Amino acid sequence: MTMKLAARGSLLLALSVCASTWAAAQQWKAPTSMKKLANGLTVVVSEDHSAPTFGICVSYGIGFRLEPEGRTGFAHLFEHLMFEGTPDAPKGVLERVIEGGGGSNNGDTRYDYTEYIETAPISALEPVLWTEADRMKTLDFSQKNLDNQRNVVEEEVRVNVMNQPYGLFFAIDLPGKAFDTYPNAHNFYGDFKDLDASRIEDVKAFYEQYYSPNNAVLAVVGDVRPEDVYAKVEQYFGAIAARPTPPRPVVEEPPQRTERRSAETDTLAKVPALAIGYHMPPRHSADALTGAITGELLHNGQASRLYQALVKDKQVALSVDGGVNWPLGTPYEYNGPTLMTSFIVYPPNVSEDQVLAAYDAAVQKLAQEGPSQQDLDRIVAKMRSDWYGNLEMPISRASALSHAVLYDGNFDSVYAIPDELAKVTPAQVRAFAAKYLVSANRTIINRTPAAGDGKSKGAGE
Amino acid sequence: MRVQAVGYFALLFATLAVAQKQAPLPKDLPPYGPEKPLAAPIVSASKLDNGLTVWLVQAPGIPQIAFDLAVRGGYAADPADRPGISKLLASTVTQGTHTKSAKEIAQEIQAAGGDLAASPHSDSIEVGTTVLSAKAEAGIAVLADVAQNAAFADEEVALAKRNGAADLEQQEAEASFLASKALAKELFGEHPYHVIAPTQDSIKASTAAELRQVYGQRFRPDQALLVAVGDFETDKMLEMIRGHFGGWKAPAGPPIAVLPASPHETKQEVTLVPRPGSVQTTLELGAFGPLRGNADYEAAQVANAIYGGEFGSRLVLNIREDKGYTYSPYSYERTLQAAGYYVTRADVRNEVTGPSLNEIFYELNRMVTTSPSEEELTTARRYLVGNEAIQLQARSSVADELANIWIDGLPPDEIGTYGRKIAQTTAADVNAAARKYFPAAKTTIVAVGEEKVVREALEPFGIPMRAAQ
Repeated sequence: MTMKLAARGSLLLALSVCASTWAAAQQWKAPTSMKKLANGLTVVVSEDHSAPTFGICVSYGIGFRLEPEGRTGFAHLFEHLMFEGTPDAPKGVLERVIEGGGGSNNGDTRYDYTEYIETAPISALEPVLWTEADRMKTLDFSQKNLDNQRNVVEEEVRVNVMNQPYGLFFAIDLPGKAFDTYPNAHNFYGDFKDLDASRIEDVKAFYEQYYSPNNAVLAVVGDVRPEDVYAKVEQYFGAIAARPTPPRPVVEEPPQRTERRSAETDTLAKVPALAIGYHMPPRHSADALTGAITGELLHNGQASRLYQALVKDKQVALSVDGGVNWPLGTPYEYNGPTLMTSFIVYPPNVSEDQVLAAYDAAVQKLAQEGPSQQDLDRIVAKMRSDWYGNLEMPISRASALSHAVLYDGNFDSVYAIPDELAKVTPAQVRAFAAKYLVSANRTIINRTPAAGDGKSKGAGE
Repeated sequence: MRVQAVGYFALLFATLAVAQKQAPLPKDLPPYGPEKPLAAPIVSASKLDNGLTVWLVQAPGIPQIAFDLAVRGGYAADPADRPGISKLLASTVTQGTHTKSAKEIAQEIQAAGGDLAASPHSDSIEVGTTVLSAKAEAGIAVLADVAQNAAFADEEVALAKRNGAADLEQQEAEASFLASKALAKELFGEHPYHVIAPTQDSIKASTAAELRQVYGQRFRPDQALLVAVGDFETDKMLEMIRGHFGGWKAPAGPPIAVLPASPHETKQEVTLVPRPGSVQTTLELGAFGPLRGNADYEAAQVANAIYGGEFGSRLVLNIREDKGYTYSPYSYERTLQAAGYYVTRADVRNEVTGPSLNEIFYELNRMVTTSPSEEELTTARRYLVGNEAIQLQARSSVADELANIWIDGLPPDEIGTYGRKIAQTTAADVNAAARKYFPAAKTTIVAVGEEKVVREALEPFGIPMRAAQ
């Protein structure tokens, strides 16, 4: 990088110069195009011949946020059922095709999408496309599959929540307290009573409503020629009929007026922890990227302000994690209300108030003084590098492209994010911190080790 | 298999099209396309005058370079009265040098687009970072400074000890940590490989002077490897590395001692680790396997993929997909410089603790008593070769893998031979490896959970059971 900070004239001028020099030196973009089929399926192709492999992501516009009331955890349970076979390709075929093709696959459910991802040597592209089209047509809606996967999901909740210290309370309980409406506040892993109440009719209805080609984006990245991919996608997906998608409900939240605090106990944790969540502005608002940067300035790595203040200087914390939309996505990929979350593990001989005092001092310093230009350049370099890292593997680039198109109708942000970050100024970060990182806008949960009564209060109940 | 599969090495796969016992594949499913050769990373290897081994790999694509500095000597080289001091060393080695504070180092590496992480392993300590290509020299400078001039200031050591103690306390609440620790003890007994973490006593007793001594013994150019993977010109990269590492001098004293021979047999036994409040039993089974570089290493890898290494493996199909006992059962082989071992892992709900172990035994023994089907074999081979190629698209994975190869004492082109050897593995090879390594009777069992649940569920097996030490 050849940026010369010393050449600065006025602040404004220096910033624009610095942003463009930076961009010229570091910009990276892969050839990418997109096309929409007559049935509404959007297809994105990014050509990359660095290895004879591919990555695929099919994202559907359905996540935790829109799952029906009384059916918490359903979007994720449904994701599991997408792997249980179809009339034409019974259970097991999917894995035989992908693993026999030398690849691997997975699925993820998040607030605003459910994605199905595969990566393999290029020879497996066609059969893998076929299996994705096949499960976009219909599924094997059997009670046996539902019962089996409900058990598997309940084991997943046990292993990731109930049998874990902290039980993901920063990801499940914190939104539960910070948000007021069902779409954003409910337990996305699902209450067992809701999972147990799920019926095969629910599965069919959910599929009918949300798993249509017009509610999906397919991204293919790798050793391909776009025209070949478009032709194959037309061949395998073209005949799948579009179906109406339910109108998107209002998911916005009423503003929070006062600080919310609560306490939990944990039978598995040996050391106390705090979760703090601030409401963030909507993704497309002018403040959104400034929020992402603020979150990373505070949380990203050992150079971050919270690590330096809490772990090193004041020594009131053992670890600090967090950021905007953390831990269930990048700070750029959300499509509804989200938080900047901090998860702080602290020593038993330190009090909650001591941790908070140090935390507030660090946040207030940012709100009063803002970052220096050097601080900002540093975090922008790190975020740029992190984002490129996210685009390195074909499977994760497919995922990023597919989410962007699902939210925005285009993939511009995927390649624009690094340069957009470089435009944010210290004054904007200072103003952002002063406006959003205030106590009335936050929720705090303190979770402390409990004597073993066999039950944790809070997450996973 | 109905799909027409042309193998990575077409000759070997020419005959696979028939014979399978599973249901036929869908009639409309298109066949696999023609294979393209999966090129392995090409390593440009050299050695500086001071003995530092440098392995460089050019990789096109995103503007990032991954660096990994590996030094010989990890947990297994820790002094007997300071087990796990490697972890304290790893957490303090990045926290300041003679000229830079910990904060300055963290900021410099962040400005280059990276994080600096040091991690302790059984046979090594590795310091790695991934930075923006244009900031390569800044990344190298930080690594070189840490490798040569770490300060171990008293206040940094005191803080790392305090946080390390709390971190260990927290880890001891996690079932997976308890299971891995008990399994290492069960497999290796008093051999240094049983150390996978510090103890509270060793953390408390360790001093800055001891850390400096261990650092001096291990961080020396003649016992170190530097790997760089990314978009750079090899000559220029080597020059930059020489500029920053060329002055690193090996001390006069001897390097770490040679490890004693590792055990290679274990007995069937249940080690119970009581964990009150557990809603699941964490089962971790261990058995010895081949070293990397052994003639049957690849065959054992294929056997493991068929048994529990892939999603479509026998173990996953049985206890997850058929019975729903567990979310994520899996098995893997771990190779150290002087030992290899298999681990089967499943977290199962309390009520199915016994049935789960029964099915795991069944699948282990089924590997011994039955040959893999043609489709199982083909799938496993392709899965291993394909996944290797896919993983090696990530710069940091290439760097990690090369460091592992170096630690195991193998040459850099080992990274290119794996796929070829896997593709040549036959059913007979797999069967022989399974007979040697997979019998349930050669496997030791760790169960972490509610004591009463585990006792009642596992006593009927009639296997000797004892509480963890």
